[in-house]
Amino acid sequence: MRIETSVRAVASPAAPPLSRPKGLWALLVIVVAMAALPLIASTYTLTLMVPFFGFAIALLGFNLLFGYTGLLSFGHAMFLGVGAYATAVLTSKLGVRSFELVLLTAIAVSALIALPVGYLCVRYTRIFFGMLTLAFGMLFHSILFKFYGLTGGDQGMRVVRPLLFGMDSAGGKTAFLTGPFYYYALGLLAVLGFVMWRIVRSPFGLHLQAIRENAQKASYLGVQVSRTRLAAFVISAIYGAVGGAILAVSIGLADPEMVYWTQSGNLVFMAVLGGSGSFVGPVIGGLAFVLLHDSVMAATQYWRFVMGAILVLLVIFFPRGIAGIAGDVVARFRKGS
Amino acid sequence: MNITRRALMRGIGVAGLAAATPGIFAPAIAQAKPVRIGILAPRSGAMGTVGECGIRAVQWAAERMNKDGGIAGRPIELVIEEETSPKDTIERFRRLVLQEKVDCVQGLISTGVSLGVAPTAEEEQALLIMWDGTTQDGVKEAMPKSNYVFRSTDNECEAVMASLLAIKYFKGKIKRIAGINPDYSYGRNNWEAFQQILRRAGVEAEVVAEQWPKVGTMDLTSHVAALKAAKPDFIFSSMLFADLPVFMKQGSAAGLFEGVNIALPAAGWQINQLKKEFMPENVVFGHNTLYFALPTASPLQKAFVDDYMGRYKEAPHWEADRAYFALAAYKAGVEAANKATGRWPKLDEIIAAIPEQKVQSLGGPGQFRKDKIAEQTFYQGLSTNKNTYDFPTLSTVDSFTADQLQKPPGVDFWDWIKTSKLPV
Repeated sequence: MRIETSVRAVASPAAPPLSRPKGLWALLVIVVAMAALPLIASTYTLTLMVPFFGFAIALLGFNLLFGYTGLLSFGHAMFLGVGAYATAVLTSKLGVRSFELVLLTAIAVSALIALPVGYLCVRYTRIFFGMLTLAFGMLFHSILFKFYGLTGGDQGMRVVRPLLFGMDSAGGKTAFLTGPFYYYALGLLAVLGFVMWRIVRSPFGLHLQAIRENAQKASYLGVQVSRTRLAAFVISAIYGAVGGAILAVSIGLADPEMVYWTQSGNLVFMAVLGGSGSFVGPVIGGLAFVLLHDSVMAATQYWRFVMGAILVLLVIFFPRGIAGIAGDVVARFRKGS
Repeated sequence: MNITRRALMRGIGVAGLAAATPGIFAPAIAQAKPVRIGILAPRSGAMGTVGECGIRAVQWAAERMNKDGGIAGRPIELVIEEETSPKDTIERFRRLVLQEKVDCVQGLISTGVSLGVAPTAEEEQALLIMWDGTTQDGVKEAMPKSNYVFRSTDNECEAVMASLLAIKYFKGKIKRIAGINPDYSYGRNNWEAFQQILRRAGVEAEVVAEQWPKVGTMDLTSHVAALKAAKPDFIFSSMLFADLPVFMKQGSAAGLFEGVNIALPAAGWQINQLKKEFMPENVVFGHNTLYFALPTASPLQKAFVDDYMGRYKEAPHWEADRAYFALAAYKAGVEAANKATGRWPKLDEIIAAIPEQKVQSLGGPGQFRKDKIAEQTFYQGLSTNKNTYDFPTLSTVDSFTADQLQKPPGVDFWDWIKTSKLPV
């Protein structure tokens, strides 16, 4: 019961949505800021931003389930892994280096896996949905870990640098990550962010929110609850796989740790940190998490304790996350003026 | 502002003097600038104590070397980052290279992590000297030829040596073998190597049980029960994390080790946790490249072990030696290149110089081969509980050099196992 209450508190915004930064505009601000970042930031900071773009795309999908449909997945890292391993197999085993083909494959494979998994999972809600997704995530982890000949087991699989729009780039890996791939991944974030914006504002998105608020009432109104949830699950899986493909290129490796439950926990952390109740909250959470994680790790060996303490404080005192705090500040400023 | 002609001439004079004499001042500035060494080692989880031992040793080494003039006159400064998952460790590696601007990165224990970091080092053209983490599978694919990465001795060396000692001490008593090994490539390779070496030695043993606990499993009672039910006369286990003491404790409680001989090639990592109360005697006990109580220890090893045991009240293990060796090899390479060029050497000059240097490490002499793989001295033997510690020591100490236990350059490990001239 306690878990259910806290999840509701996070998933269901208490304040009116209008008090938050406008979703699409906020996303646009982030994209523009990221586009200008190479002018001022260090090379190392830029290398950190590439995984952030991957996480941000995955979180947009994750939030479709969590924030808009009220389904908290504890196994969503599975789809990061699908994208990462699709990238590894294509680039290092099959010699396919076109990143566009890699993305299409990752999308197709993730949809194929998400359909049966989602079909089983969306029949349940709350903790049961969470536990089922966790179980599927760990099952996938076991497959990656045990099928050594196929997946490289604990040692994972190498990811070869892909071609972007059929073009190779000169220079080392860092130049690639902070140059062409940086803008490619940022472009993907912008496009997929806009697509997600249209999805959540569409009748389908409203159905999801209706299901989140009261599935029974939504069903009476003619919403096909299971089918709509399944569609949301598949879309979120596709976003996860695209994010995983970006992560894999950044790391240069697809390994089972990427789908371990702790990585799913990180996704939940990022969503909570940013505020799952708003469209752009998880993206902000992803950025905050990447920067926080990096600086806390550099500052102390007890970084896990610090990160855990931050999560506890957030859930207790700021359940609507950074986006919620920002929304409150903006609202207060407007009221004051 | 008015500038007088005298002031202008004085300024030009000072500037001219400074421009004409860079050789006088630059070396002093260069020597004052520390050599920054990035360290990547686990500090928590299953490998936390192992990484901590390496960090303590490299801190001891840096302190000692700094008292002796550092590296070619420059003091050593350590920048420590934690080794965790491959993704996070690659990010920490990039931080060390791009942000902290270290001269060299050392460390890494997990093979899974090193396989991700090593190609990144090659891509970043950054010098990486690994402490550990070189299990066969994947290494040959991910690091077939490295320019910037110096790798440790093969992880399988300890299994090869333990297999040879099992034959040396227990040949004729090995009929029914059982293995309990960690469920990843290291454990699987070691178990396979053990069986192949037994066959090469003409030991026809029946495999009666194979157990593959996941690393970090703390309840091994079902595995112990399965082993006991199989009634082996020899158990081979390359478990090496915190689960090894748990296995020995639970196995001892279940009477698993009565009348059974055992080989624990990597037990040295857990030396402080393997208490006499549950450790049988005459175990083939592996200490890898550092046996803390070596009777013929060098003054360097004695000084380190005394300091370490005095400060931390526990025995150091081989990760300390690996950490010391990495730093000592880098120092030797830099100083040799410095001597040859008469200036602070460039990265490629350091890399070229390192394999030429024979290094006195904590556990004994060692050096890097031309293919940038370490060759060190290994110690194992039969264990005894007759000592003043609360854990076993060795009653007989066998030592092999890595060239006896490790495949030569360019040869596949499994081909080498089948065809090599083994020392026992």
